[in-house]
Amino acid sequence: MKLWSVFRVSLREQLRSPWDLLLVLIFAPAFIIAYWSFMGGGSTYYPVLVINQDRGRCRMGDSATSCAEQAIAAMKLVTYESGDALLRVILLDDRAAAEQKLRDRDAAALVIFPPDFSQSIQAALQGQPSSGAPVTFVGDLNNPYYSVAGIAANAAIDGYIQLATQQSRPVAYAEESLGGSGTRSEFETYVPGLLIASATLMMFSIAIAVTHQLEAGVHKRLQITCMRAFDYMGGISLLYILIAVVSVLLSFWTAQLLGFHSQGPLWVAIIICIITSFAVIGVGLITASFSGTSARAAIVVNFPLVLLLFFSGSVFPPVKLSLFTLAGHTFRIFDFLPHTHAVVALNKVLSLGAGLDEVAFELVAMTLLSVLYFMAGVWLFKRRHLS
Amino acid sequence: MSEIVLQTQHLTKHYGALTAVDDLSLEVYGGEVFGFLGPNGAGKTTAINLICGLLKPDAGQVFIHGKPVGGSGVRDGEAEIRTRVGVCPQNTILWDRLTCLEQMEFIGEMYNIPRKQARMRGSELLEILGLAEKRQRLASTLSGGMKRRLNLAMALVHDPELVVLDEPEAGLDPQSRVLVREYIQSLTTTKGTHAKTVILTTHNMDEADRMADRVAIIDHGKLLVLDTPAALKQRLGQGDTVEIKLENGLAGSPVDSSASEAKARLALQDIASDVKLEAQADILHVRLLNALGRLADILQALTNAGFHPGEVSLRANTLEDVFIQLTGRRLRE
Repeated sequence: MKLWSVFRVSLREQLRSPWDLLLVLIFAPAFIIAYWSFMGGGSTYYPVLVINQDRGRCRMGDSATSCAEQAIAAMKLVTYESGDALLRVILLDDRAAAEQKLRDRDAAALVIFPPDFSQSIQAALQGQPSSGAPVTFVGDLNNPYYSVAGIAANAAIDGYIQLATQQSRPVAYAEESLGGSGTRSEFETYVPGLLIASATLMMFSIAIAVTHQLEAGVHKRLQITCMRAFDYMGGISLLYILIAVVSVLLSFWTAQLLGFHSQGPLWVAIIICIITSFAVIGVGLITASFSGTSARAAIVVNFPLVLLLFFSGSVFPPVKLSLFTLAGHTFRIFDFLPHTHAVVALNKVLSLGAGLDEVAFELVAMTLLSVLYFMAGVWLFKRRHLS
Repeated sequence: MSEIVLQTQHLTKHYGALTAVDDLSLEVYGGEVFGFLGPNGAGKTTAINLICGLLKPDAGQVFIHGKPVGGSGVRDGEAEIRTRVGVCPQNTILWDRLTCLEQMEFIGEMYNIPRKQARMRGSELLEILGLAEKRQRLASTLSGGMKRRLNLAMALVHDPELVVLDEPEAGLDPQSRVLVREYIQSLTTTKGTHAKTVILTTHNMDEADRMADRVAIIDHGKLLVLDTPAALKQRLGQGDTVEIKLENGLAGSPVDSSASEAKARLALQDIASDVKLEAQADILHVRLLNALGRLADILQALTNAGFHPGEVSLRANTLEDVFIQLTGRRLRE
């Protein structure tokens, strides 16, 4: 079978370039390690600057203490459900220096406790009218970290004030986590997107490797044999599916070593990644079809890469522009990207503990799209280079 | 006459406004070495690609053993044609990280040869082409000449009946050139099986003259001539050069020399295309086609004109002369 021969020869060539292969295989795990380290080993923490101008003291039982210091202590106790700290409190005296840190994005928010903070708490505790001392929140509202840090600090201070003044809200708030999401570290919530992104980044290797073969002219030599385009494309694709499987498994293994736990069946997640790889190979072939040289392929591949990474929800939240609804499913503008469905499906499986039946729609959609992309890649490559 | 192995009928291929191959009709017979000559950009490679089925003609048809060759894909019956044709491309096309033997095996499999058989045939060809010791070496480690020889071997692994060689001697050192030339010539000699037919494109006129049974010269996509090298040299070019030593010393002074040359030119006007007298050595240079056949006439004409021809030497017309006459001296690329 010629397809098998092409695969065997391609694999042999790949194995004889161990460094190239190693770089391709460790790319995705390295990407995961890098993200894990950005998350501080699990979850992002938000640096919050605090200027404590509080001059007063609150009487708590027999002792008198600064209420602002107690509020700061409450901020330090804000953690993820995993136990990782959410806020890193940094005390400062100089507002100008603090604002400079905010501008440099060395910190997410600045909280200023006023001089009469303790006095206000004490007054409220004794049922006297409070001076309403303003706790000031300062931040760059364009910095997405500010919202999280501000809300978390606000909640911590508010919680402390309720406790200190012995006043409760007329209503209580309760939070229930979906699936197993409550116990997930931030790193774990990123893993589904990271895995899809890792598989997508293989597009570089595929596009460049295939165009390198074009440059060498081997397709011309094969074209005059009895080989069919299907054998050639199938053999090469089989190799990259194998590399993708190994890469995905290594990535999962790396993520698990770094504390990632899958809530759902891992084999479903692996199937999702393999189907995604199929689409990636298709896009890689489409790119190679339009690139005569590997240097050009390295440039051209950036366009589909950005589209697949940034508009599918792998890296950033997806754009939710609805087009139409069919059989209860709303179709959005970037649903034509298999990666959009892959991210949703993988998130359901890994973070929410969904099984195969619960991601059936996404699996069918991404399979159809992946086959479509792959067929388009094969057809274009055949038309442009093998005809 | 041998059977027709390859036939092109009114083959035409355009690239935009350029007609790369223009109404090319020719026949190649079994067991012959067919030289395909032309300047750069004349349309040789396009014609070869059309013959191999790598390109679709805009008009006309190619037949191999009477069966039409399609433009692309391996359709019904086309696989059989492809197994009967071997192509050695002008550029060396190899898999850098495969050994010589692995390349032979792989290409053999692509021609539907079982791997074991391809391996045996590959070993045999590597032996013949002086690569036996390199069979387990990666192609990337071979010298340029070795790569060229491996490139040739890969065109032959499936034992094709028709072998198309695009510049097979380019980039080879003299030793390799002799080896390859002898091997190509051996392909057309019958050894138990049918003799192969070889189509050879080259810029080396000497190579074509030595190896080709017939030669086609094309330019601007058109077939200019098609004949044996000997026949072409008799018909075309500036002709053979006959050098005749004049015994009576007529070229003693520049005046005598000029007068003698004019006299000789007059005597040979119906025979020779050009007559020159080398004054210092009293040697008359006479150019004409088929000089050997008309030597007696030349000598008689000179004697009748009062010259005393002595020692005679003959330098034959070359295929390069024929080629230059047909295609001109203008540089093409």
